[in-house]
Amino acid sequence: MKIRTLKLREAHKPSPGYGAANGSSFCSILWDQQARHLVTASSSDSGISIHDALLPSTTPKILRHHRDGVTALALSPNSTCLASGSIDNSVKLYRFPGGEFETNITRFTLPIRALAFNQSGSMLAAAGDDDGIKLINTVDGSIARVLKGHKGSVTGLAFDPMGEYLASVDSMGTVLFWELQSGTILHTLKGVAPNTGLDTSLVNILSWSPDGEMLAVPGLKNDVVMYDRDTAEKVFTLRGDHLLPLCFLSWSPNGKYMATSGLDRQVLIWDVLKKQDIDRQKFEDRICCMAWKPVGNTLAVVDVSGKYGLWESVIPSSMKSPTDDIPQSSKKSNGLMLFEEEGQEPCSSGSLGDLGEDSVGESGPPSRKRIRKRSEFDEDDPAENTLDGFGLLPQRMAPKRTHYSAREHLDKGSNEELRSTAMSVRSKMQEAFQPGVTPVQPGKRRFLCYNMLGTITTMEYDGYSHIEIDFHDTSRGPRVPAMTDHFGFTMACLNENGSVFANPCKGDKNMSTLMYRPFSSWANNSEWSMRFEGEEVKVVALGVHWVAAITSLNYLRIFTEGGLQKHILSLDGPAVTASGSKNQLAVVTHASSCLPSSDQVLEFQVFDIRNGTRPSRGRLPLSPGSHLIWFGFSEEGLLSSYDSKGVLRVFTSQYGGSWLPLFSANKTKKSDENYWVVGLNANKLFCIVCKSTEVFPQVMPKPILTLLDLSFPLASSDLGADVLENEFILNNLHLFQIQKRIEESSSDDGRDTTELDDEAFSTEAAQDRCILRLIASCCNSDKLVRATELVKLLTLEKSMKGAIKLVTALKLPNLADRFNSILEERMLIETKGMSETAGVAVSQGSGLARNGTASEVPSGPSCIPSSSTTLSAPRFFKKVVNRGEQKGRNDHNLQTAREVQPEVASSGGSTELRTAAAAGTQELNGTSNPFLKSSSNGPTKETTSQRPPSNPFKKSAK
Amino acid sequence: MAGQSGSQLSLFTPDEVEFVAEDELVEIVPNLRMDSLNFICGDYGPFYPQIAIQVPLWLALALKKRGKCTIRPPQWMSIENLTQVLEGERESHAFQTLPFHYVEISRLLFDRARDDIPDVYMVRSLVEDIRDVRFHKVETNLENFTASAVTWKNMAAMEVNIIRAFSGRALQAFYRHENEQAVPDLDRTQDRQPQNLNDRPRRNLRPR
Repeated sequence: MKIRTLKLREAHKPSPGYGAANGSSFCSILWDQQARHLVTASSSDSGISIHDALLPSTTPKILRHHRDGVTALALSPNSTCLASGSIDNSVKLYRFPGGEFETNITRFTLPIRALAFNQSGSMLAAAGDDDGIKLINTVDGSIARVLKGHKGSVTGLAFDPMGEYLASVDSMGTVLFWELQSGTILHTLKGVAPNTGLDTSLVNILSWSPDGEMLAVPGLKNDVVMYDRDTAEKVFTLRGDHLLPLCFLSWSPNGKYMATSGLDRQVLIWDVLKKQDIDRQKFEDRICCMAWKPVGNTLAVVDVSGKYGLWESVIPSSMKSPTDDIPQSSKKSNGLMLFEEEGQEPCSSGSLGDLGEDSVGESGPPSRKRIRKRSEFDEDDPAENTLDGFGLLPQRMAPKRTHYSAREHLDKGSNEELRSTAMSVRSKMQEAFQPGVTPVQPGKRRFLCYNMLGTITTMEYDGYSHIEIDFHDTSRGPRVPAMTDHFGFTMACLNENGSVFANPCKGDKNMSTLMYRPFSSWANNSEWSMRFEGEEVKVVALGVHWVAAITSLNYLRIFTEGGLQKHILSLDGPAVTASGSKNQLAVVTHASSCLPSSDQVLEFQVFDIRNGTRPSRGRLPLSPGSHLIWFGFSEEGLLSSYDSKGVLRVFTSQYGGSWLPLFSANKTKKSDENYWVVGLNANKLFCIVCKSTEVFPQVMPKPILTLLDLSFPLASSDLGADVLENEFILNNLHLFQIQKRIEESSSDDGRDTTELDDEAFSTEAAQDRCILRLIASCCNSDKLVRATELVKLLTLEKSMKGAIKLVTALKLPNLADRFNSILEERMLIETKGMSETAGVAVSQGSGLARNGTASEVPSGPSCIPSSSTTLSAPRFFKKVVNRGEQKGRNDHNLQTAREVQPEVASSGGSTELRTAAAAGTQELNGTSNPFLKSSSNGPTKETTSQRPPSNPFKKSAK
Repeated sequence: MAGQSGSQLSLFTPDEVEFVAEDELVEIVPNLRMDSLNFICGDYGPFYPQIAIQVPLWLALALKKRGKCTIRPPQWMSIENLTQVLEGERESHAFQTLPFHYVEISRLLFDRARDDIPDVYMVRSLVEDIRDVRFHKVETNLENFTASAVTWKNMAAMEVNIIRAFSGRALQAFYRHENEQAVPDLDRTQDRQPQNLNDRPRRNLRPR
């Protein structure tokens, strides 16, 4: 048998505070009818998580209404109503998938252990440690019946798919068959299931086959026993390789297969007709609940420690899919009861009815509910609608009339068709978001905006919310009074000068509003707001003296700080997010709908608001299957993005503008930490570390920033010097950026670039150190070609000398010779380059650095590899020229060069460098450099003879 | 500094012990931007808002007093860890591992940074319980005090300080008693030695 490992994600942390002291708790898992959501709960956690099955990496919605662990979950057949039972003795109903709390439908005096909806969703059975199973009308919450007969606590309940019977099992292993109409016990099977005693993490369960013909109950011999529907006689057993008693079983939607999990921590998949196990999987922990995906070949499992996972393609493709030929029990059931028949009618209008109780699974006003439901369908695309008609749980009896033909078609159609429809549901375009926002949590304060400067937090009350603005640096940032917000702002942005807020539109009365609040202004009342009719603000951004808002009509609206409507642009697609910094605004939009592989297709563009230009635009790369979760500028002003797979990318102008992956959470991840990105600078990523299940930080306690090193996702090289290699690429990136800035500022308005020059020099020195260490490790692992390549990348002569010394010490004379010749070539180029650069500087007077570099390259001998020269030499010259220019003594060629060189050496901070390099040249001069000699003629000969030959620049000045 | 209050032996007052403890490092989260501070004991900083950094306790408290930082309670001051330690202390005879200055650090934090400690009442009562259990242990240890039989591993500064005077004096007393016995012994050995010395030349002489 194949060995696979299934990766489980943590959904619920077993906390010592609740019930389970031994760390194992009973957890439940459910699919909704269209397989869009997964619901999980744990008996050691008071929260119920609703996971988005399509975007599994998004934060689950957590419903915290129970005061203690949740022991039972049930979803009404049409997936509009979720019921939960808890150790706190209450049964609560929620709307689904929204998760809004509806009502406490009933209370017990002891913990609840089992819940079940009937086929129409009109009735909920609840039972637990109390004696008596309560049958509750879901509409009005009235107790229809209390079924008393169990001696132990009832742990399993199952309505028969045909609606006649209810089966229940207790912890002592007794199974009872109830007739629903009369509420009497039809059959009593004493002690057929294992006695689980008092361990609440272990429950007895039972399950009807989807066609309702058999009831499956775990047997006493580590097997599954099937009982006949009517006579309750043993039909057959599934006995196999379970070594310990079973703790859960689940029928596949079509009833052909069954998944069973045992205390021996295995899950077995059975072919029920052949009575054979066809597959199995071992898990680290006991699996306490499983659910087949209603559409597709997937089994969701959750173990006792609260970790859940999806077991894809459970049934081998050679066999029938678990969703093929789903029995339509409505057709089969001839002995259908009256109320079931009635139940079909309202079902087509989106709600279910039953026995005088008109609508189902909803205690709110039914009319409102219906409207909501219909509008939901209207929004869905046709494919989804047909799927809705088809991809029913087996229990769902009445298909929607309108989709009847489509369902028939699909019924006959092949499985592939089903899959393709399922796929189209899967891909979902990412919604617009504001960088640094956290999702709404009822009763808790949340972040509207968290950036490197400060935070905007909000807390919702009835009808208004309370917004606070705090700066991280309390000593500098202005103190902003808290504000009461009657608009219900959900978007916000913050910078040094002010904050901007916006709210989505809610109905006709509450229009979408944009509001700007400056923190300080000379004029009174300088805050302003804009209202949008028939338009909704999706994203806001803020920069120096401008405010931007992107709306649902794909307009990019740009306002000035004072509220002047300055520009309105039309964007290409629906907005995803936007971010502003100084005078740059970056906008991300959808370029098209998602790819079939559920990849988002995003596009970014950068606007320069002050100059009215668009410096760059292009596609925004994302990791496969992920979506964008953070977008912004680094402290240096580089555009950066972070996706849900934990990859940080930074946009650089390298290769004509491309995104570099600068950080990958998978590579650095410690156990189960999530990183919530806030910002970054040249070397570090600033983020908030969230533990395990949490994906976003809470406002209280105040989160602190953690610094993480940036690191390229390097391949694991044979060198074993990943850290050095990473440093090497990072340094290269920094050098590139510094060079670009130097070019920009010198071409801009001839600003002083001394600081940048110094920075470049120290980065170069750091890079040389790194390269030298890389050379050492290359030599140690015998990668001589790579070492030679590295030497060519060295900038300073001193480092080259060092490299030669290093390889000599490592007893690699061949390599030392090679290095020597590289150094000679370098020296030659520099002599030529220097004289020419100096010449240019003098002749032009303005001494543009670029001219120097441009003239330098062709001057070199053609045999020399240009990579080394272009990388290192030009910058050095540039520096020289700039300095010379500053001094303003460009009257004479020689003078310039001489003036300049001591400064260069001193700025490097090492006179040692000078002497070392000089020594190198001296040696070379003496031994093997004919070019140098030949070049040292002409009118400057006297000057060289005057001074001792102690300096490379001297020589180059000849 | 030492011995101001204890006339008999070198005894520190609790304040003095606390003073010593203020050099321990704690983690703070500053809310201001500040260049690095250069002290005799070392350089600390630069400080960036919302980014945690380690500083000595005295500096942390000084900044806290001015509202410039929040102090992150040390790892061992979590409720989980403290309950575990308390259980360990109650169950076993030995001392659990806790920071050498745990009494002083916790006291200082409770006094001056109580808003930075989550569940401060719980933590405080746990620390006090642990302290009581340990002090009691120290006292019972003292009852059967012999120089060799007692294990003093993992004792904290304040606990050492309590028994410093007593144990010092006790050890002196032991020493004196031993000396009384040892002195005659020494005398004996001294007696012997000359004898031996006398013997040797004799032996040497004999062959002659």
